[in-house]
Amino acid sequence: MTNMIKRIGIVAGRVMNQLRRDHRFVGISLVFPLIILYFIKVVFDVLASPFFNISVYVVPYAAFIIHFVTFILTAIVLVRERTAGTLARMFVSGYNQIEIVSGYLSAYTVLATVQSLLVLIELNWIFELGYNIGQLGSIYLIMWVLAIVSMAIGMLVSNFARNEGQVFPFIPLVLLSVILSGIILPIERLPEWVQALSFLTPLYYVNEVLQKLIGGSGLFDDWPKLIGLLAYGLVIVSIATLSLRESD
Amino acid sequence: MKQTKAIQIRELDKNFGEVKALKSVSLKIEKGQIFGLLGANGAGKTTLIRLLIGSTKPSSGHLTVIGFDPTKQKRAIRKLIGYMPQSPALYEDLTPRENIHFFCHAHRIENISQRVDDVIAFVGLSERAHDPVYKFSGGMKQRVSLACALVHQPKMLLLDEPTSGIDPKLREAFWEHFRELASRGVTIIFSTHQMNEAMYCDRLAVLHQGVLLANDTPRQLLWNNRSRIKIWRGKQVTEKVVINYPEQLPGELQSYGLDSTISRIEIEEDTLETVVLRMINEQEVQYLKEAKDD
Repeated sequence: MTNMIKRIGIVAGRVMNQLRRDHRFVGISLVFPLIILYFIKVVFDVLASPFFNISVYVVPYAAFIIHFVTFILTAIVLVRERTAGTLARMFVSGYNQIEIVSGYLSAYTVLATVQSLLVLIELNWIFELGYNIGQLGSIYLIMWVLAIVSMAIGMLVSNFARNEGQVFPFIPLVLLSVILSGIILPIERLPEWVQALSFLTPLYYVNEVLQKLIGGSGLFDDWPKLIGLLAYGLVIVSIATLSLRESD
Repeated sequence: MKQTKAIQIRELDKNFGEVKALKSVSLKIEKGQIFGLLGANGAGKTTLIRLLIGSTKPSSGHLTVIGFDPTKQKRAIRKLIGYMPQSPALYEDLTPRENIHFFCHAHRIENISQRVDDVIAFVGLSERAHDPVYKFSGGMKQRVSLACALVHQPKMLLLDEPTSGIDPKLREAFWEHFRELASRGVTIIFSTHQMNEAMYCDRLAVLHQGVLLANDTPRQLLWNNRSRIKIWRGKQVTEKVVINYPEQLPGELQSYGLDSTISRIEIEEDTLETVVLRMINEQEVQYLKEAKDD
């Protein structure tokens, strides 16, 4: 067990070391969500109406941006490991699936922590949401968990792609999850069979918890959805770990 | 009983869908042997190495590596082997030192830093040890990759085309080191398509389209094939083709008696390249014949 924790630390250290030098990757991860969020602000300014509660939309949209960017970048990085042969070499050198996935998640969690924080600061600033510290902290926590879950989904998807280009066909699935999550349309208005699919996207749980927070409830008031998000994350991380293939 | 076989392979098949990458291959490799896998691209060399390290499973047949079954005990095998894949498989943003450190950390090595320094010095990269790998040439990346395979002093080295892109001087140094490792009991299995390199092996397996065409010492492979004997009597030249000339030559010469008119004798061995190409051609003729019969 001690050896496993040590090796998780070594994998995380190596990934952090790479991130430190890959300015482009870190830049895209941190800046792109902020740029997209700014353009959402431009759109909402055009649609401005005194009857329109924008926070109901923009907070989940910000969560979606984090989900999308994190998912796609993690999937590409993992596919790059596979095509370069370093993933296979890690396995042959004695690292196992748990050590590799946990190491990656640990290192990228640092990135997700900064990413979620920057998005929340911009969100609160440009939309003048006026939330109290408790609400902001809760929203931050949800976005942070979503970022980690999105990484695990990226890792899972990377198993089905042989090169970076093969990650892109999965993008429509992420876009579909916006429809299924209730961010754009209330889920109750969707056909029942579509509603049943909502449980398959993390954005559903995130949107449900966020809407409660926006409405002034506490983080644990809708605890079943919060537990749902954590359980969803746990299941995805487990599947991503078990399905991480050494070779094709 | 002391295990002397480093590798035992019996009737090994590997299929990728319809493609038969290995067809009923049987081999035994002794401990401390330098064993070459020779063949063109697509011959099955890399597939065989990947089967040995447990990266892929055989479709049928049996194999053991240092007494372990790679299909069930690959973790045990991986503690004992060093593997160098065909592509360098390195983190290009990291330095050679960081790459080697990372790949050897999964093993228990005492005094890691010193060991990493030694292996970097061996591959001749001490002065570039702190440069990122993306600045390196293909040959330099190969050297870093080899260092990653050597650093934990494995009992067996599996090297997939280890010296491609490396200059002749360094290649000579590599071979000297491989010989020294072999003398200490390290088994070295490497794949190549370079004939001159194949001559360094203790034993050589020739693969073509997944079929094992030959498994012998390089010298015996040459002797088992054709040699031309040219005998000069003044300006008159007689040429004969013999198989296994070290044994056949005395008989050939006896037929001439003590002929004082013989002024010159030349023996032309086939090159390994000619021998291998002939084997491949014969195999392909056989395939065509079988296809025709079907």
